[in-house]
Amino acid sequence: MKTNSDHSFEFVIPISYGSTEVIETGKWGFQKPQASFQTAPCQEACPAGNPIPQFLYLAGEGRYDEALQTLLKENPFPGICGRVCFHPCETDCNRAQYDESVSIRSMERYVSDTASNQLPNLKPIRNRELKRVAIVGAGPAGLSCAYFLSLLGHQVTVFEAKKEPGGIMRWGIPEYRLPKSVLKREIRRIFNLPIEMKTSINVGKNLSFDELTGFDAVFLSPGARLNALLSIEGEDLKQVWKGGDFLERINSREKATLGRETLVIGGGNTAMDVARSALRLGSKVTVAYRRTRNEMPAIQDEIVEAEEEGVRFEFLTQPVKVSLLKDKRMAIRFQRMRLSDPDQSDRPRAIPVRGKFITLEADRLITAVGEQVDLSWIPQELIKDGLIDVDSSPKIFAGGDAVDQPRTIVTAISSGKRAAISIDLRLRGDSCDDVFSKIRLGNKGSVSMEAYLSGRDEGKWPSPKDVISYDRINTLYFEHSKKINMRKINLDQRRRGFSEVNRGLSPEKASLSASRCFSCGTCNYCYNCYFFCPEGAISLDAFHQTKYVDLDHCKGCGTCAKSCPRNVVEMKETP
Amino acid sequence: MKDFMTGNHAVANAVKLCRTPFVAAYPITPQTAIYEKLSEWEASGLLKGIMMRTESEHSAMAACIAASLTGVRTFTATSSQGLALMHEMLHFAAGCRAPVVMANVNRLLAAPWGFWADQLDSLSQRDTGWIQFYCENGQEALDTVIQAYRIAEQLYLPVMISLEAFFVSHFMEVVDLPEQEQVDRFLPPMDLPHKFDIEKPGFLVPVVSSELYQEYKHMAQGSMDSVKEVAAKVDREFRKEFRRDYGIVEPIMIEDAEVVLVTAGSITSTARMVIRDLREKGHKIGLLKIRLFRPFPVEAVRDALKGKTKIAVIDRNISLGSGGIFCQELRAALVHSPEHPLTFGYIAGIGGTDVTPEVIQKITFNVMSRNEATDAPIWVMEE
Repeated sequence: MKTNSDHSFEFVIPISYGSTEVIETGKWGFQKPQASFQTAPCQEACPAGNPIPQFLYLAGEGRYDEALQTLLKENPFPGICGRVCFHPCETDCNRAQYDESVSIRSMERYVSDTASNQLPNLKPIRNRELKRVAIVGAGPAGLSCAYFLSLLGHQVTVFEAKKEPGGIMRWGIPEYRLPKSVLKREIRRIFNLPIEMKTSINVGKNLSFDELTGFDAVFLSPGARLNALLSIEGEDLKQVWKGGDFLERINSREKATLGRETLVIGGGNTAMDVARSALRLGSKVTVAYRRTRNEMPAIQDEIVEAEEEGVRFEFLTQPVKVSLLKDKRMAIRFQRMRLSDPDQSDRPRAIPVRGKFITLEADRLITAVGEQVDLSWIPQELIKDGLIDVDSSPKIFAGGDAVDQPRTIVTAISSGKRAAISIDLRLRGDSCDDVFSKIRLGNKGSVSMEAYLSGRDEGKWPSPKDVISYDRINTLYFEHSKKINMRKINLDQRRRGFSEVNRGLSPEKASLSASRCFSCGTCNYCYNCYFFCPEGAISLDAFHQTKYVDLDHCKGCGTCAKSCPRNVVEMKETP
Repeated sequence: MKDFMTGNHAVANAVKLCRTPFVAAYPITPQTAIYEKLSEWEASGLLKGIMMRTESEHSAMAACIAASLTGVRTFTATSSQGLALMHEMLHFAAGCRAPVVMANVNRLLAAPWGFWADQLDSLSQRDTGWIQFYCENGQEALDTVIQAYRIAEQLYLPVMISLEAFFVSHFMEVVDLPEQEQVDRFLPPMDLPHKFDIEKPGFLVPVVSSELYQEYKHMAQGSMDSVKEVAAKVDREFRKEFRRDYGIVEPIMIEDAEVVLVTAGSITSTARMVIRDLREKGHKIGLLKIRLFRPFPVEAVRDALKGKTKIAVIDRNISLGSGGIFCQELRAALVHSPEHPLTFGYIAGIGGTDVTPEVIQKITFNVMSRNEATDAPIWVMEE
């Protein structure tokens, strides 16, 4: 260390031009910081396990290609989920406890629509032995399973009964929620992988179930495409349509004449899709539901948009009889209901109000009271309570709406992803029980493909991460701001046609929206630790996403851990 | 331009006139008005530069030291507990030879708690290596800040300017505000030969050997010694530009005086009036104001008090177990005087109690009646 003076000032005070690094002050410390990424509650809530803080960070930096690539590690359908998902991530978003949640779904859509490279680095792993997997049903579950299995290096053949893949996304969801171009884009990306697609194949008709067992593994995801019945008098009249059939006609661009007034029975997403589609075809629409608005199983956004567009609701009504009137109109008689104690699903039970009935008239009645699985081609031992149950068979797997799980696009995607991992483990001769607990994201059932891949070859998985609760966020570093919503086309346009209702975010709003993310448990290079480190021992490189702590000079004061707004830095005792 | 303002605002005006580009401070009563005024001017653009609102006085001083070593003029203001908290950094400022200028509003130190005038806060810091001035009024505080930068930047030593709580800090008086051109002429931009240089990174406060440490302290003492001369010269040059001067000490009606009162700060103003009245009644009383306290102007004090028979030092402070601090210093300064006058220490005005003309008159008559040396401090309290 040089303390000599060659300068007038240095004559009055000692100044050193040597480096302080020669003194390894880091050896004084008994603890050291460690960047330990944790799970954000949004990611835990996302059935597909979307890496939300990571993709929002990249989006906030304008690195959309990388953001899309990050999403595609866990979910093959960001463009679709970014439109039609019921976004449990936003419900669980920590920011919702501070001001309002981050608009995660809109951002997923924005990234998916904005990325210039739609076919990023998707390269299947090469396995020593090539195994063949059959998938029945090319809906969200089947395609997700095919996508991940293909990435895991297996040879996949998909059998689809219809003439095009997509399932409910193709034939169920109307264009104003999910444009066909978006669906096409995402399906094209999947089939850019070496996956064999066989359409117009009906297992049980032009392919026997036994032929499937010639594959090394089978994934059944046929969906639930049978419409549930009302089981009331007059239901078989030709003026009475079934919701699923109606939506399929619309999605096939077939003509559908409704008449002046349409009555829709049901309160779920199908009922909303039917009602809003009917409205777009020029009919006046009333939805009859046996409970009240609060109990409707449909996604809240759909109900709100239906109301905005002018769909009327008749609550606490249960149909008892349909009869034809002279002018080809129908009279539908309803039992008036009232709410009572909650049932098993924790929703209030609807019970009849004795002697109270109402009658509504309509030109068209469309029922949308649930869907059932077509089990006619399924072996008896794989059926339980009207659903597919594969517990008895080691090489047959199942997912999507045909099994016992919530019927949403994202849960279907999740079941396809989980099945792909199960199948991969089986084909490689590993046991699955343990693995799922290690690659889980929190405690709500979602799993991380990235974690699976990191341990797949060596059988060593990282220990599961904590979920960062709101009280572990240092909110001092955030200013209050409002949630950023997408623009919508005007009501007139909405009532007139099937143009997409939501117009997406503007680039400015997307950037603002991404910056609202607390990035719970994930480093987003805010540089707080770097700025606050009194020793200058921290180096960060946001572009290459690297972090470095000079342990020879870190005294373990913990300032970095305290100043991290998102609980990424943890102090660990040195041995 | 004459204006009517408090001592605090006079200090803030001086900082602005000196074009100080870096202020770091933390508010504390009764200094807060300085902080607020500078803050307001920073916001409106009148004060060019950075006003850093730190989380403590300790940090404020640390920031001033660091900024000063990059070669810019710096300022902070504090009082009492704030100054006590700053203590560690005061040594660093002096040790790093950083020419920081600070205003301290003299306020009593807790406990018990209070806000009132008492010089113990700054006098407790006398050994930190800072130059210390004690000012009588707002005008003097303003002028001393301007002089302080000249002295500090010439000798690389920090300067503390003290003004008493409320009696000076909040009292409104007519203050002659110098013109900006005058100040610019008197105080050129700070130009240290040494500046931290990004091109040539270095660090301060390295570990040094015992011998080297001793050498630096010896050098600093040399610089401290030359303050008396430099301060007197700066004061003379100040007179040329502004037609006001103060001296490092100020003897008042002292030539033929038998008894001399020694004061510092605002008590001096009251004492000026009292001795004038007593002289009219035939008493040969003089007054010596001590303005520069560190370094203590031993020679000037000795010269001024040569041949006097009795001296009464009035201290608005008490070093418990000893006595008034100005009295201690004065006695030490006179120890080599051939005919050492009797020196009495009076404690008056502690905790902001009012030192009225009657109190000073009482002290004067008391000292005239005494003919024997008294070591212990004499407390002047209301009966």
